[in-house]
Amino acid sequence: MSAAQAMGPVVAVAELAEGGLAPVSLELASLARELAGALGCQAKLVVLGEGAEPLAQEAARLSGLAVIGVEVTGLEMFSGEAHCRLLADLWPQLNPSYVLAAHTTSGLDWAPGLAVLLEAAYISGVESWRMEADTPCFGRAAQHGKVVEEIEPLQEPVVLTVQPGSFPQPEATTAEPGRVELLTRELPPCRSKVSPGAEAPSRDAALASASVVVAAGRGIGKQANLELLRDLAGLFSSAVLAGSRPVCDLGWLGYGQQVGQTGATVSPRLYLACGISGARQHTVGMQASGFIVAINSDPQAAIFNLADVCVVEDLLGFIPVLVEQAGASGNKLT
Amino acid sequence: MRILCLVKQVSEPESPFDLEQGSLVLRPPARSQMNSYDEYALEAALTLKESLPDCRVCALTVGPASCDTVLQRAMGMGADQVVRLDGLDDGAGPLAVASAVAAWAKEQAFDLILTGVMSQDAMQGAVGPMCAELLGLPWTSSVVELALDQEQRVLGAQREMEGGRRQQVELPLPCMVSLNSGINRPRYPTLSLLLKAKKTPPQVVEAARGPQPRERVIRVSLPGKKRAGLVLPGDTATKAQRLVAILRERALL
Ligand SMILES: Cc1cc2nc3c(=O)[nH]c(=O)nc-3n(C[C@H](O)[C@H](O)[C@H](O)COP(=O)(O)OP(=O)(O)OC[C@H]3O[C@@H](n4cnc5c(N)ncnc54)[C@H](O)[C@@H]3O)c2cc1C
Repeated sequence: MSAAQAMGPVVAVAELAEGGLAPVSLELASLARELAGALGCQAKLVVLGEGAEPLAQEAARLSGLAVIGVEVTGLEMFSGEAHCRLLADLWPQLNPSYVLAAHTTSGLDWAPGLAVLLEAAYISGVESWRMEADTPCFGRAAQHGKVVEEIEPLQEPVVLTVQPGSFPQPEATTAEPGRVELLTRELPPCRSKVSPGAEAPSRDAALASASVVVAAGRGIGKQANLELLRDLAGLFSSAVLAGSRPVCDLGWLGYGQQVGQTGATVSPRLYLACGISGARQHTVGMQASGFIVAINSDPQAAIFNLADVCVVEDLLGFIPVLVEQAGASGNKLT
Repeated sequence: MRILCLVKQVSEPESPFDLEQGSLVLRPPARSQMNSYDEYALEAALTLKESLPDCRVCALTVGPASCDTVLQRAMGMGADQVVRLDGLDDGAGPLAVASAVAAWAKEQAFDLILTGVMSQDAMQGAVGPMCAELLGLPWTSSVVELALDQEQRVLGAQREMEGGRRQQVELPLPCMVSLNSGINRPRYPTLSLLLKAKKTPPQVVEAARGPQPRERVIRVSLPGKKRAGLVLPGDTATKAQRLVAILRERALL
């Protein structure tokens, strides 16, 4: 650590989902550890909410990082406003150089406001990082996911939101669990009131276990063209149709068939992305697929960076030829 | 009731581009459009307006004169007033944009600020919440349903989270809400309103300067391939043949 001034820690803020630690929490922990290593400071993980203690213990065991569990009675459910106030109040005590939030609907509900409150630099959607001279710089997707922007903070503190699935889970180690410090905080007065919302749409059960997924994007143009995808799906013994969010928004497929951040996460042996641009919010739901084939008329579409096989074609012309070539007259899906 | 709707001009997602000396240059036939999430926000604002006795919708964008087309579209859809904040540097970050909007909006007493959950191109989702924090307003994001209780001056919002889980948030007016897709079907501009928009230049205001930039883009590059990324060569039939062969080789077909 530099003799002049001890640098504040890198503080990752765990994301909780459905009563447990969301997987991204441990990815944040990995990045915090890497960054702290390079900067020569400490890494810490904050777990915030009602019933924080057992989760803090779990996080310390899984990440090996020092964990601060903040028990907040009444904070049973995520509240962006409460997160923002609580973290701002903890600030003098934590004095972080970096704060890491998940680039999720929750993280994005509090991190921008916190950056304003604390006059922090703000870099969102971080997927990679490296040292450039003595400063870390961070890579994020831009221009519809087609390019990577590398961004350098010009000051500290820095608030980062980190794209889920971009950093590894900590390796399962037999290493010592991190030290857990427990704090208690009152729920701050909030103007916004949160309560449970409507049920999530029920997922197509076949989708989760399908070995082949044929996925339609807005690029299919109109609902009637789903027929082409049904023909394509018919080539396989058990393929399931899925769609990107716009396809479901338009009512071409039900929301139960949506793949992505706010839909289902799938990992079939084969994922055929037809007319899908490859936005992160879509790809987080399918990037673990065994083999990915993308059909898209835009040679610069982001989906091609993730595909095993790239077909630059108008799908309306290509799919009928493909189906014919495969020569199968398998069962058509209905 | 006064509603402010923040709209952004973005390049069409399929616009071709080149990288020149570490920056992005769009190539013809690059075209621009209204950020699709902002269309949902504007539609929500216009729907509220139609259900209220005395409601005005102002659409605002931050950018140079070339962004006026997005304001014409907003007026064509039914916005009563259009404003452009001019003079920020190219590539100003979300804090600079939010600071300019907040400085202008502070004097205007809006009851509600609506915007898209993110811009399609930059995908940050930060301007709305930052602007709310700068104005001291409560906010929520990623909303897919809205209901206004005008008597109580409370807005009920359903936000959609990972996996489609939902949360209900009640916010007192004035507040800021960012909307996700699917909340409505944005209307098309009408011809008569578009003609009116062409004759009504936007109110152009010099953007207030926010704090010094706290981060800067040092390079723009193409993303690395996460997988093989084999691009099939040849004509349509050749590609199809090749794909069938690949799938058979891997026992996927
Ligand atoms: C909070 C949040 C959550 C989200 N959750 C999800 C989610 O769960 N799932 C999801 O999918 N999205 C989600 N999104 C939306 C996501 O950001 C993208 O907008 C969406 O995935 C784009 O869908 P798309 O690729 O079908 O459409 P577009 O982005 O419009 O892409 C269409 C593609 O089709 C291609 N194309 C057009 N015509 C043809 C043709 N004839 N032949 C071949 N190709 C053609 C185009 O080149 C283009 O690449 C979410 C967004 C937010 C903000």
